[in-house]
Amino acid sequence: MKQLLIGAVALALGSIPATAQSIDDLNIQIHGYAAQGFLYTTHNNILYTNSSDGSPSWTEAVLNVSSVPTPKLRVAVQARYYLLGDSGNAIVLDWAAADYKVNERFGVRFGKVKTPWGLFNETQDIDPSYMWALLPQPVYDVTTRNADLAHYGGVAYGTFRLSPSVGKLDYRIWGGEEVIPTNDGQFADLIASRNGPLNPFTYVTYGGALHWRTPIAGLMIGASDGHANQGAVALVGGSESFTAWNNVSYFAKYEKDKWMLAGEWNRQASPGTVTIIDSPVSDASSDPRAWYLMATYKATGKLTVGAYDSQAVDRDQSLGPDRYTKDWTVSGRYDFNQFIYLKAEEHFIEGTSLSFENSNNTVLQPNSDLTALRIGVSF
Amino acid sequence: MKKQFIALFFALGVLTLAGNAHAQAIVIANPGVKAVDISKGDLKDVFTGGATTLKGGSQVTPVLLKSGSAHDEFLSAYIGKNDTTFRAGWRSLVFSGQATMPKSLDSEAAVVEYVAHNAGVIGYIGKDTPHEGVKVLAVR
Repeated sequence: MKQLLIGAVALALGSIPATAQSIDDLNIQIHGYAAQGFLYTTHNNILYTNSSDGSPSWTEAVLNVSSVPTPKLRVAVQARYYLLGDSGNAIVLDWAAADYKVNERFGVRFGKVKTPWGLFNETQDIDPSYMWALLPQPVYDVTTRNADLAHYGGVAYGTFRLSPSVGKLDYRIWGGEEVIPTNDGQFADLIASRNGPLNPFTYVTYGGALHWRTPIAGLMIGASDGHANQGAVALVGGSESFTAWNNVSYFAKYEKDKWMLAGEWNRQASPGTVTIIDSPVSDASSDPRAWYLMATYKATGKLTVGAYDSQAVDRDQSLGPDRYTKDWTVSGRYDFNQFIYLKAEEHFIEGTSLSFENSNNTVLQPNSDLTALRIGVSF
Repeated sequence: MKKQFIALFFALGVLTLAGNAHAQAIVIANPGVKAVDISKGDLKDVFTGGATTLKGGSQVTPVLLKSGSAHDEFLSAYIGKNDTTFRAGWRSLVFSGQATMPKSLDSEAAVVEYVAHNAGVIGYIGKDTPHEGVKVLAVR
């Protein structure tokens, strides 16, 4: 399927010269951004970094090329270099898609496409697009970004105008194959114990999302549900398997004047087991229920400030700090101009259910403060 | 004291008038666009990538000014964002594969020219800029 889709996108790209249009008519655009981060924690190492010593191992650079050969057809490809602590450090195909929009009610994009679940998933790895250095980790865990961000397949989308007193309804329906590479963050502990995956973990996924743009100006309410079929991956000396699971989100966002308020509730239950030869079968299940509430305020033309409270409880864990994460965050972003920005953020974290990998920590402390700085440039 | 109060009142009045002076930008469209007016909500949706169709079914494509007072006034009055956040919003659509950045032109005359000669294009200029060959959409 992956090869078929790449072939289809290549065909769409190859058809561009056949239109015999000029480069200007094709509206070829090149955009990109780069961001460098710094992490420091008072206790525990976070996000695969040695953050308790201060770590600059948080780098990404993105290059995007797109073209609009006809008013209804758009083709684009995006490459990414990504480094987060011990993970990444490679250039990968972020996504590559052809998008055909019949009209406002129906369009389809196919190839390797962003998976549109939740409030922020389509933009969660696009650092210039939001004010936070880190989105709420209980829902948008940066260490498993490869698993959740994109899939090989397609997305159908559109907008229905309801009556003026009801508003507009945006829909997204997606389906295809999820491919989690062997170096993805979710395998960090297995790799550290020399039991990493032998090949990418693949499984079928599909789902849908609705965004209701209400008649109250600036208020959007939505929900999404993504389903993942059962799957298994061979490990060095064993295997890891998951039964089918769902990724459910309910969310809302309100923007008025200089304020933005948003909230989301999410559940990603994934029952699974790890079997290593000569070892007892271990439970790899997790059932986190997570939520956040956030607010941002545009203090000046260049300065935005905000705060969020995010929490998660993993009901598959026993009582104790491993069962929950509570993260109070205050943040600020300063845009020097339309190209360069700086973010500074402080997290007050209780619990260790997320983002603290066993491989990077010998003894986990129940509480830790995290300072995150990020500077970026985009064009 | 009374003079100071009057001066303060006058200054506040001037500031209030200045705050209302944002309607200096007008919205123009290719003559082939059927609509004669556009709601503020639709205008914001079109120029932030949230819609490509106007009420009545006209397909539209936005064109932008790179900078200038008409650009700033348009963003302030109808989009509610400054140039930095406005372009950041578009970049987020570009980097997530949902849209391409609208064409940005150097001058208001270039916008008029482009809108006049390209079907379905919608743009904005200062109200005093000559705009033959395009239609002006009233903003409701």
